[in-house]
Amino acid sequence: MQREQMLEELSKIVGKENVLSSETDLLLYGYDASLFKGKPDCIAFPGSTQEVSEIVRFCHREKIPVIARGSGTNLSGGTIPTRGGVILHFSRMNKILEIDIENQRAVVETGLFTLALKNQLARHGYVYQPDPASEKVSTFGGNFAENSGGPHCLKYGVTTNHILGAEIVLPDGEVIQVGGKALDNPGYDLTGILVGSEGTLGIATQLTLRIMPKSEAVKTMLAIYNSLEDAGRTVSAIIADGIVPATLEILDKLTIKAVEESVHAGFPLDAEAVLLIEIDGLKDGMERLAERIMEICRKNHARDVKSAKTEAERTQLWAGRKGAFGAISRLRPNYLVCDGTVPRTKLPEVLVRVMEVSKKYNLTIANVFHAGDGNLHPLILFDERDEEELRKVHLAGSEIMKLCADAGGTISGEHGIGTEKMKEMFFVFSPQDIAAMRKVKKAFDPEDIYNPGKIFPEVQA
Amino acid sequence: MPRMEKLIPRLKEIVGEAHLIRDPDKLKACAVDGKRPQAILSPGTIGEVSKVVAYANEQSLTLLPMGNGTKMGMSGIPKKMDVVLSTLRLNRMTDCDCENLTLSAESGIPLGEVQKRLLQEGKGYFLPLDPPFTERATLGGIVATNSSGPRRLLYGTARDLIIGTKAVFPNGDVVASGGKTVKNVSGYDMCKLLIGSYGTLGILCEITFKLLPLPERVTTLLLPFVRLEEAVQFGREILQSQYLPSSIEILNEMVVKKIKSPIVQQGNYLVAIGLDGVAESIERQVSEIGERAKKSSALEIAVLASETHSSFWKAIRDFSEGLVEEGSNFISFKSNFLISRCGEVMGSYEKIAKESGVDCGLICHSGNGMLYSYVFAGKGVRSKKEFLLNLIREFSSVAVKNEGHLIVESCPPGIKKRIDVWGEPRGEYEIMRRLKKEIDPKGILNPGRFVGGI
Ligand SMILES: Cc1cc2nc3c(=O)[nH]c(=O)nc-3n(C[C@H](O)[C@H](O)[C@H](O)COP(=O)(O)OP(=O)(O)OC[C@H]3O[C@@H](n4cnc5c(N)ncnc54)[C@H](O)[C@@H]3O)c2cc1C
Repeated sequence: MQREQMLEELSKIVGKENVLSSETDLLLYGYDASLFKGKPDCIAFPGSTQEVSEIVRFCHREKIPVIARGSGTNLSGGTIPTRGGVILHFSRMNKILEIDIENQRAVVETGLFTLALKNQLARHGYVYQPDPASEKVSTFGGNFAENSGGPHCLKYGVTTNHILGAEIVLPDGEVIQVGGKALDNPGYDLTGILVGSEGTLGIATQLTLRIMPKSEAVKTMLAIYNSLEDAGRTVSAIIADGIVPATLEILDKLTIKAVEESVHAGFPLDAEAVLLIEIDGLKDGMERLAERIMEICRKNHARDVKSAKTEAERTQLWAGRKGAFGAISRLRPNYLVCDGTVPRTKLPEVLVRVMEVSKKYNLTIANVFHAGDGNLHPLILFDERDEEELRKVHLAGSEIMKLCADAGGTISGEHGIGTEKMKEMFFVFSPQDIAAMRKVKKAFDPEDIYNPGKIFPEVQA
Repeated sequence: MPRMEKLIPRLKEIVGEAHLIRDPDKLKACAVDGKRPQAILSPGTIGEVSKVVAYANEQSLTLLPMGNGTKMGMSGIPKKMDVVLSTLRLNRMTDCDCENLTLSAESGIPLGEVQKRLLQEGKGYFLPLDPPFTERATLGGIVATNSSGPRRLLYGTARDLIIGTKAVFPNGDVVASGGKTVKNVSGYDMCKLLIGSYGTLGILCEITFKLLPLPERVTTLLLPFVRLEEAVQFGREILQSQYLPSSIEILNEMVVKKIKSPIVQQGNYLVAIGLDGVAESIERQVSEIGERAKKSSALEIAVLASETHSSFWKAIRDFSEGLVEEGSNFISFKSNFLISRCGEVMGSYEKIAKESGVDCGLICHSGNGMLYSYVFAGKGVRSKKEFLLNLIREFSSVAVKNEGHLIVESCPPGIKKRIDVWGEPRGEYEIMRRLKKEIDPKGILNPGRFVGGI
């Protein structure tokens, strides 16, 4: 179809002012927080489910790819147009439709920022648990499609555990409701398969979320180490002791330095690692539990353990964690975040091996990660203008994924496969496993309209 | 059945002579809704399952996967069932990694057995699922039916606890999804598709769960109320509070009578609050929740000691098993609906039952909006058929009105023929049928038993 004609059709649906197509626009929506780039044919801003459905129906008829986009903060190339097509940008669909305290549910449009809902819930004394570090700007659509995690997911589970239903536009434009406010509807758990499907099976326009009362008490602690491995060992030991705190996050020396230069969280600059620990729940017994945790820290050679005495101190510690990626991006022009995840018992040995990769390729790697989940985030720093360095970065990234897979883990814990890790799918899956996933894709999207060129490795193993 | 005879030698070759059963009595015992299989096969490894399924697919032989058969009455009448594929020889715990708080086990092992063994590991662990048929239900059966119990309020259900599966798909492929990391977004979350799929997409062979250490202390508060509204209102108050109960059950009088309540029966509704946690928090919750209950006109505040606690919850979980043992004639239902509508739904069901002249027992997971109901039809169910069909329609419309569904969990085949046990169809069924078609194009797995004719 002619480009002009396509723009005209889309303008008819959403209005001329809600279609972008200049060269600059195509450049701006051709990248995300990953290292990849592509080029869409245009960008449309639908204002309702009806408009989404009409756009999709049109694209389906004309065989034009459709790529849903929230804030573009995903780290795996999830929103990169690999074959042109229409970017559906959800910024106009950003309302909280309902906060239903009685039923402990919220219903939101998918362009809403994660934190925006949380701020409203706080007024009711309620929380939506998943808390990706990007929550200030990440959208629920993105959280849904990536099955995002966050520091508090150790205790409360990831996004999939908190999405109970969705309004979905299928690749032929049909709108269906999956799941809902009530639990356990009969039939296949379509909500479950759609969460984490990276925009390749269905586009969500509304989500039904689980919300819960805020916990009565919370306690935040910081353990300081002279060795990163000891911090990792502490995490394994806490889990092995049968304690599941709300949070166990590790930041290494390089990260600490970057954080202190930008947000001043009060982390000691000479430490090799800090471990941020949070427990929550009822206040009773909390002191005793905190004491037990601190004891484990000391046993694993923490040189100091302290706890936040005031809400301000707690906020400061958290600012250090949440601002970590941002702070690191000031060190070098680019970074690649690896997302390999391992069984918690394997953390210490895997951390050592990641550092060996750093040495082998002579690349700087910073570590800031969801340790309690076994979810590593080695950040490889580089300058993309240096082609040789860039080449090494990709090799090192892949090698880290391999060593996580070999340790009984996986290649992505929360950032998704996207265009970035398609090849590496074979590190963890057999051709049969992938063939089964393709059947799911085929059932939803036989013509490969939604977000083509993602997840599935192009070649057979 | 000459065709079957031709296939037997190859099946025997795969699983071994001893593991292919054709004894008529045993086949009869495996009958589902009056239909009888022609053989029972018990493969001993995932490799054997794969071979059996691939061969069945090639020969268009229908398979009905079965563990201990505790839930065979659930779901629709089989369109066809040639062979029962028993998972009972797949009964190993393959990777018990308590330090990582995960367990991988084969699907044919009973949950009761798993819990017993976890109890002996280190400081004591458990798999936080408490579905019906405590002793006999196998992991595979529990997961395939997405079975759950009262403690789901605190611990969630299979979809929250499972991080990996290995299943044999209808073409014989062994398909793995997830693994033993608690977070995993590599590829589609195929585990979710298998949970609650009633054996229609694949044969679950191995499942990996998250584990938890045993809570320091557990206890139960029993609070009888005169009126349903009072009981429901109290449950809601606790749900909206910052307390962390593991369950908030509301039972009606009929159920309390049958389970032989550990306290002297009074009032018409019993609220049972389960508490798991550290000693200090249990103590405080017992005293504060008790205090609140007194103010909310509870007739008594009883705290159960640990042995009575266990037997009480077992009686609730295994309520339907108890009814079968005593030889009761009953039809049972599971309804889901909005959490805030427990009162409406329970009240309506009691009223409908009363108007129909039948007794009705109700067990409600009030914090989750799930209700299990048991209608006692007495003798001569057949003559009451129209009555019961009407009651089912009315129950169903109440559930739908409250944004849920009514699922008929057990009923005589005569009634089953006339209804859809899964309740009102929904818009998403078309996609489900497409999934089934892609994955099981010949329809060899459990045909006709699931939603929308799948
Ligand atoms: C500094 C920083 C910190 C981060 N921290 C975390 C973290 O702690 N945990 C974590 O898990 N991730 C984290 N991320 C990654 C990222 O923020 C998450 O993946 C987030 O959920 C993406 O949201 P988004 O709105 O930016 O989605 P996008 O990047 O716009 O889209 C992501 C994917 O979702 C699809 N999509 C978007 N909207 C829809 C829709 N309506 N329907 C269907 N599919 C849709 C897209 O097609 C794409 O595949 C971080 C990223 C950054 C840059």
